[in-house]
Amino acid sequence: MHAYANPTRFLAIAKPLTPWLLGVGLLLLLAGAWAGLTQVPGDYKQGETARILYVHVPSAWLGMGGWTSLAIAGLVQLVWRHPLAGIAARAIAVPGMLFTALCLATGSIWGKPTWGTWWEWDGRMTSMLVLLFLYAGFIALTSGDEGQRQGGTLSRGAAIYALVGAINIPIINRSVVWWNSLHQGPSITLRGSSIDGALLWPLGLTVLGFSLLFGAIVLMRMRRIIADNRVAARLRRLADDEGA
Amino acid sequence: MTGVISGGGQWAYVAAAYALTALLTGGVLWYSWRAMAKAEKRSDALRADSRRGGAPRGNRK
Repeated sequence: MHAYANPTRFLAIAKPLTPWLLGVGLLLLLAGAWAGLTQVPGDYKQGETARILYVHVPSAWLGMGGWTSLAIAGLVQLVWRHPLAGIAARAIAVPGMLFTALCLATGSIWGKPTWGTWWEWDGRMTSMLVLLFLYAGFIALTSGDEGQRQGGTLSRGAAIYALVGAINIPIINRSVVWWNSLHQGPSITLRGSSIDGALLWPLGLTVLGFSLLFGAIVLMRMRRIIADNRVAARLRRLADDEGA
Repeated sequence: MTGVISGGGQWAYVAAAYALTALLTGGVLWYSWRAMAKAEKRSDALRADSRRGGAPRGNRK
């Protein structure tokens, strides 16, 4: 892993990978959305609104997956002081928050015609809202801090915050089991899926498509931070040369 | 029975969910791409100027 600690080595991989993730992600996403909207039948109970599944589930997956990655990056920064870990954590925060917000918004839009309400303070929705606030807190904590001026590393406090926040991930996952909820129980588990195969396959396309786009956004944001760091370092050197 | 709201009215909710997702995801993608391209262009220009031994572009008065 330390072999890629060098930003130059990282950029040699990230630069060609970014357009590929972007292109393939968009293609899969468009194919999945087209299939979800036109090729699969409506659900026998929920009717057409079940098609919201194809954007709601990937958003939930990326909101939770985003924080899991952020916590791992925080751990790597704390333990190994990997120079790219802090940059990765900073880059993950905004797309993670975006997909968490999309999960809540699309869930709310799905809830109104299905349950008759936009919002309910039940375990799943509340723990997902807590995740949104956790992202907002992390972004506030790391914006304009000392680490941002020193090559994008995370402060010890921000890394610990990322790790502590990860406690919320299993709570979100198990919330529909632990509490009686308006939200349905787990549909896709390691043992299989309760969703019929005829409705499931476009979900695979949109989950993969959104995941690749998430990866592309993270790489773009990491590249921006690295470029900003290089500009700052060069300007500091020039100022030192002029001062000498 | 298909949900609380049934029939054609359901499509408005589906359209709203997809439109919001496309708008926000597209917005973050576009912003991230633009910010990255701008930062890398600035970094490359500065490096090229440093190699030529001149003052960095954008910092000249």
